[in-house]
Amino acid sequence: MEQSITLAGFTSQLLVGLSRAMILFIVSSGLSFILGVLRVPNVAHGSLYMIGAFVAHSVATAVGGVSGFWLALVLAPLAVAVISLIAERTLFCHLYEREHLMLLLFTFALMLILGDLTKITWGADYRSLTAPPFLQGSVSVLGTAFPRYNLFLLAVGPVVAVGLWLLTSRTMFGKIARAAAVDREMVGAIGINVSWVFALAFVLGCLLAGLGGALVSPTVSITLGMDHTIIIETFLIVTIGGLGNIWGALAGSLIFGITQSIGVLILPQFAIVFPYLAVVVILTLKPTGLLKSVW
Amino acid sequence: MLRVENLRKSFDDFKAVDGAHLAVDPGELVAVIGPNGAGKTTLFNLITGHLKPDQGRITFNGAEISRLPAHAICRKGIARSFQVANIFPRLTVFRNVQVSVLSQKHLSHTLFRPAQRMVVEETERILESVGLIDKQRSVAGVLSHGDKRTLEIAIALGNEPELLILDEPTAGMSPEETAATMGLVTRLAREQGLTILFCEHDMEVVFNVATRIMVMQQGRTIIQADPEEVRRNVTVQEAYLGGA
Amino acid sequence: MIADIVRSRAFVQHVVLLPVLLLVPAVAGRFYVYILAVIFVTGLLAMSLNLLAGHGGAYQFHHAAFYGVGAYTAALILTRTSLPAWVAFGAGPIAAAATGFVVGAICVRLNKLYFGMLQISLGSLIWILVLRWYSLTNGDDGIHGIPMPEFLSSATGVYYFVLGVVAVCLALMYLILKSPFGATLRAIRDNPQRCEAVGINVRRHQLIGIVVATFFAGVAGVLFVVLEGSVFPDMLFWVLSLEIFIMCLLGGWFTFYGPMLGAAIMVALRTFVGSYTDYWTLVLGIVLILLIFFLPEGIMGIHLRELVRQRGRRASMKAAE
Repeated sequence: MEQSITLAGFTSQLLVGLSRAMILFIVSSGLSFILGVLRVPNVAHGSLYMIGAFVAHSVATAVGGVSGFWLALVLAPLAVAVISLIAERTLFCHLYEREHLMLLLFTFALMLILGDLTKITWGADYRSLTAPPFLQGSVSVLGTAFPRYNLFLLAVGPVVAVGLWLLTSRTMFGKIARAAAVDREMVGAIGINVSWVFALAFVLGCLLAGLGGALVSPTVSITLGMDHTIIIETFLIVTIGGLGNIWGALAGSLIFGITQSIGVLILPQFAIVFPYLAVVVILTLKPTGLLKSVW
Repeated sequence: MLRVENLRKSFDDFKAVDGAHLAVDPGELVAVIGPNGAGKTTLFNLITGHLKPDQGRITFNGAEISRLPAHAICRKGIARSFQVANIFPRLTVFRNVQVSVLSQKHLSHTLFRPAQRMVVEETERILESVGLIDKQRSVAGVLSHGDKRTLEIAIALGNEPELLILDEPTAGMSPEETAATMGLVTRLAREQGLTILFCEHDMEVVFNVATRIMVMQQGRTIIQADPEEVRRNVTVQEAYLGGA
Repeated sequence: MIADIVRSRAFVQHVVLLPVLLLVPAVAGRFYVYILAVIFVTGLLAMSLNLLAGHGGAYQFHHAAFYGVGAYTAALILTRTSLPAWVAFGAGPIAAAATGFVVGAICVRLNKLYFGMLQISLGSLIWILVLRWYSLTNGDDGIHGIPMPEFLSSATGVYYFVLGVVAVCLALMYLILKSPFGATLRAIRDNPQRCEAVGINVRRHQLIGIVVATFFAGVAGVLFVVLEGSVFPDMLFWVLSLEIFIMCLLGGWFTFYGPMLGAAIMVALRTFVGSYTDYWTLVLGIVLILLIFFLPEGIMGIHLRELVRQRGRRASMKAAE
């Protein structure tokens, strides 16, 4: 705290916050998408993120090198998508007619099960993954050294955002999914299999969780328990953004990432408290979130 | 007693109520009619505070009520039933009405006294008057459709209202049930001096029972007059009766 | 009124049950006495949640936060001040209820899932504060070796204290549920819109419900301190909130004792399955899925369904109320 806040320090923290926000956005946009279409807060989302990170680690270490990294970025989300598809088709899809609370509790059960399955598969040890050489080291941004990998994240985030936007606004699936969110009877009535729309939406949302996990894996220690932190954070993000609103998820992620990195400059010990405070302030002023909820 | 002036309410681009006028005087049985989507239910929801109007004034006994929350409007003496049977399905018939009576007597906040022995007489009297006393121990959710609608009226009576608003009290009823329900409504109006505002699809019912009729179309009040005049009115015939 | 209670069957059952529970320390081993006390405390917590969840129909998703506030308040007063123990024991529930009031006042403006999400946010803020405020709460490590008054120095003393407090709390909760307020709360669960239309201020009732329920959660928190002599941030963690939600569901959340039964099963599962395998949450997850699919009204719920079948509508009335 003694150190004065320099411009360089500020810039570097801001960029760290932004790149953290990109990960949060990718994960929470998936959560928000599921919320928007299925109206279920997917508690297992954090577990899928964690599994994404573990799978990415395994793939990248097994294959090695640059190709291993790219392969991990592809395979980890796919593995997570497969897991979620299985869970959805065998069990979850039978609950759509039931109370929302039951759906939520089901995803909680899924979280408990996936957490232990992760422990069984990968053990309780910490793991870490190094980024491929071309993403290691740092570059100088406005006079501060900035990790290359974070710049990579800053590039990936907007790509995912634009991709999601195109998917939801420009494709048939996106339109049907949005319509199903508003009025599922109507969509059913025009002869669309709502159950499969839900399945696809669920799997897509989970895939984003896996992608987030894979992308975060070179920057954090991969460990059991990382599911718990991310799920709370992404829940808060989608709440302040407006439930089911993908742009809200982006706004929420930016607020979350930036307040935390600024908190580091002001009160390092309580840095993590800042985003939570921001959440409380926003929700007190605007209880239904910043942007229009799809509900 | 109740005055509605130039009331407007839109949902996004849809003007559900767009210039509604209504006057209800004590002791009247006023019917609101109009084709589907004319804004009858929205009008009732605006009066009872379940929706907030965009424009216009609602006064009850001289006091403005258009901005009050639903529970406060109820306290002023307006009770209502809903279009779909709106009861407490997991509670007993007795408890359904008792909750309303307790609320009326400002007893809902009582924490440490058993409710079992409270306001029993009042509750039973209401059940007696609507003819549900024999079923008071059943769970409300298992009642027949007609009984559920009657229970709704009983719940509303628990509030000792001056004005009772009934949103299609006979919707989905058989002719016998309809006759029984309307009989009940007119009897309540007569015996307890209740003022009643209702909307209804069945024209025969409306013209038999109502002392005054208000016709709505596309959210607007077309005419407000006694049944004979409404029957004679050309606009109404074209807009509604002719088409029906 | 007293005469009614004395004559009721429930009263007779309790008069029989209480001596049995009083005799447990005399016959059972220390470990079982301890487990039974854990069940009482967890059960009280679950039953306090059920006031809102099962009877009030509210999505009270972060109830553990208030449990933690009660426990930490008591623990901090006991370790940091020289105030007498009863002050700490009283302050815990009061602090929890005060927190409940603030959180509740913000949450009741919204419905269902938004209410729940908002509460998760606010509860998590409390959790993260406890976790990070090292100088006050010891952060991750929690507070251990909390000094206790003389009469709570033996395991038996603790057991009787817990039993006594829980019994009083249950009696109070029973009275509340039977009161006009309880009836109104269930009416709100069944149909909030109709409640507004009969002049009930739904939000105010929900807020009172939250304050009452968080008070009892605070009592459970204090009892945890008495029982374990320590507190740690996981008590306020959101996963615990979901676990107690499951206890309500497991035991049957339209019943009075259901959550206590659910707590007993969960504690037993954790204790005994946990001693065989590291993967007890896997077992819990599977149990939960089975529950969702086959027993959505909980174990005591099925008992009620049977009653309905046997005795018809009269019994179903009891089921609901």
